[in-house]
Amino acid sequence: MLWLLHAAGAPSVYAAEPPDAALSQRLLEARAAAAVPNACTQPNADRLIRVLCAGRLRVGVRQSYPLFSEVRDGNRTGYEIDIVRDIAARLGVGVAFVNVEASNRIQFLADDKIDLVVAEMGDNVQRARQVRFIRPHYERSQTILVGPNDGRSGDWNAVDGQTVCVTVGNGSNARMLSHGIRLMLFDTAEALVDRLTDGTCDWAAQDDSFFAYYFTLPDFRTRFAPKFGFSEVPWGMAVARDGSEQLARVLDLMSQVFHRDGVFLAAARANHIDTVFLAQQRGVWSRAGCDTASGSADPACVLPSADASMPATSFAAAVTAFEVWVHRTFGFEPMLPMLKTVPAWDLFLDGIVNSLVLVAGALAATLVFAVLFGRALGSHAWPLRWLARGIAIVLQSSPILLTLVVAAAVLHALAPNSATIALAAAILALGASNGANAGQAISEAYLTLQAEAPDRAPDCHLFRDALRRSATQIMSFLINAAKGTPIASFIGAPELLTALTDISSFSTGRATTYTLLLVFYTVVVMVVVWLMHRFQLMLERGHRPA
Amino acid sequence: MSTPSDHLSAAFLPAFLAGMSVNFAIASIALGIGLALGALFAIARLRGGWLALAAGSVIALMRAAPTFVIMFFLLNALPQGAGLPGALIVAGALVPYATAYVSDNGTKAIDQWHAGSALGALLFLPNIARAFFVLVMSSSAGAAIGVHEGIAVLLHEAEHLHATGDKLILFAIGVACFGIPLQATLAATRFLQDHLGARSMRDRGKIAKP
Repeated sequence: MLWLLHAAGAPSVYAAEPPDAALSQRLLEARAAAAVPNACTQPNADRLIRVLCAGRLRVGVRQSYPLFSEVRDGNRTGYEIDIVRDIAARLGVGVAFVNVEASNRIQFLADDKIDLVVAEMGDNVQRARQVRFIRPHYERSQTILVGPNDGRSGDWNAVDGQTVCVTVGNGSNARMLSHGIRLMLFDTAEALVDRLTDGTCDWAAQDDSFFAYYFTLPDFRTRFAPKFGFSEVPWGMAVARDGSEQLARVLDLMSQVFHRDGVFLAAARANHIDTVFLAQQRGVWSRAGCDTASGSADPACVLPSADASMPATSFAAAVTAFEVWVHRTFGFEPMLPMLKTVPAWDLFLDGIVNSLVLVAGALAATLVFAVLFGRALGSHAWPLRWLARGIAIVLQSSPILLTLVVAAAVLHALAPNSATIALAAAILALGASNGANAGQAISEAYLTLQAEAPDRAPDCHLFRDALRRSATQIMSFLINAAKGTPIASFIGAPELLTALTDISSFSTGRATTYTLLLVFYTVVVMVVVWLMHRFQLMLERGHRPA
Repeated sequence: MSTPSDHLSAAFLPAFLAGMSVNFAIASIALGIGLALGALFAIARLRGGWLALAAGSVIALMRAAPTFVIMFFLLNALPQGAGLPGALIVAGALVPYATAYVSDNGTKAIDQWHAGSALGALLFLPNIARAFFVLVMSSSAGAAIGVHEGIAVLLHEAEHLHATGDKLILFAIGVACFGIPLQATLAATRFLQDHLGARSMRDRGKIAKP
């Protein structure tokens, strides 16, 4: 009969059932099941039965997430704590809070250390494969960009080419990179606030829920303001995927009722949390179409999981197999995120090519500047000689990082900010800085040659001999230029250090990543050393008298 | 008419000088460790055999490893940066350069000493002074990981200046502050080299006379 009603397109008895009735019915059934002798010790008993048997709900919560979940004067307070207490009250059980971190909250569920986790966990497709999220969601966060409180609102253009401080592994880092933002990585969100306050960072990006507390502090609010938000993620309570079907269903229904009756909203207001999302959700769950027992499974009512996954490379499976083999064979676990996803692989390849271009460019520029400075410093025209000497002294006195920034500023004044301009600025700065020193060595060699043979005419042959005499110094500064190329990442040149920093901002495996980086640059410099040695031998062979 | 100093914050100069002291502290730590390790490597290289080969290989690697990359390696490859403050990570990144430099120059100095040229061996001292300033300059890399050294303070101040001219004047102040001690040291080093060279020539003359 029910099937016939469905087939006719009429509303089913089940679909029309309000969530309250379904919740009461399920709780009644569960309490009855828990009262059966030996039900509590059955190995396949659902967690709901076990919770009712034990008379307590074990809940994983964060210990220090202001406004949401924290311990203050020995008492747990916050929006999530209030929600958990409401849930436990409806179940008629007590609560045992267990401290969890972002890194272990899913494992605690899998290990049966907790029954439920309510710990600012974003519902995304990757996590949804590991846990059963409770829907509807009890909160939503977005990443906000916080900057100076100058009265101006912001957009992506306001931070184009700027450095933004972020935490490693933040899901929205990849999106910021796609907008040309440079990232400075920190391990904890608290470090972002410290670095904003002490002036190290002018911009920082993190969940709005994290910054909510800091914007209640007058000093912070005076100095900084949220500029704009992006990458919205719904937050879900979660239970274990296995053995928690009944508990999950009861919590789904309870969440619907909490939204509709304003329980979530009241808890948020009591804890000074932004209520825009919860007010909007209350409207959704009050609609007749959603306020049903099946509403939490209706895509028209419930928010989808966020999808932060990236397309895999064609050889990602082979890379994973290699990682497993190394782990089994050698006992350490390499992680090669740069080979597994298409965006990371593209960044990695571009980084290698740009690094090699940068090294070649820096070597060529150093050689050109060395010859120019050598000529000018040895010139008989004193204005040219003194001008070259002045520039050489300034370049020698300037830390390379400062020379790099000045070169970038000069080139940015001539052309729009781009990766090519950053590479060009780096080549210019490294070439000028090392070329000035090498040029000085050439001019000194030139003077000694003149001193040794005062009658010799200052012609091209004399300068060529000066080049040969100063070959060791020239080689030394050429090698120095090659070694200095990674510093170009400071101005956003897209070489390998920049690429791997970007990759590690949205993936794991920083230790392997930076070890590979060190190996790459050390090998490149050793190859340059070997080539320079060959070049020097060639020069010196040419210098030998016949 | 406003001068560039009107646009600089009152806190800039004390912060910049404090930042420069961090550069000098980083360079001192790196050179101190470099001297200790470099001396050991120099001795190993002079002993010959497999020990010299091994020491030479390690020094070749240290010479080739870029400081900036080592800094990021230490920061990211060690768990939580091993809890080290940023300034110590920068100092650690400079140690391979300092060690290789001390080892190379130390080996030469010991050779000179064995060859009977005490003054040639003494050239090790001005070379170390030069290395110290290379380390001071290189310690500005710390700005990339949030260390409050001189260049980081300078760049932070420049963010608040709008006119390119003001920024360039600020950078010129920075160059002068780093450059004057550097150029003075280089001049003193040249003077010392000339002095040692002249003494060496005089000594040779005395030895040749009888």
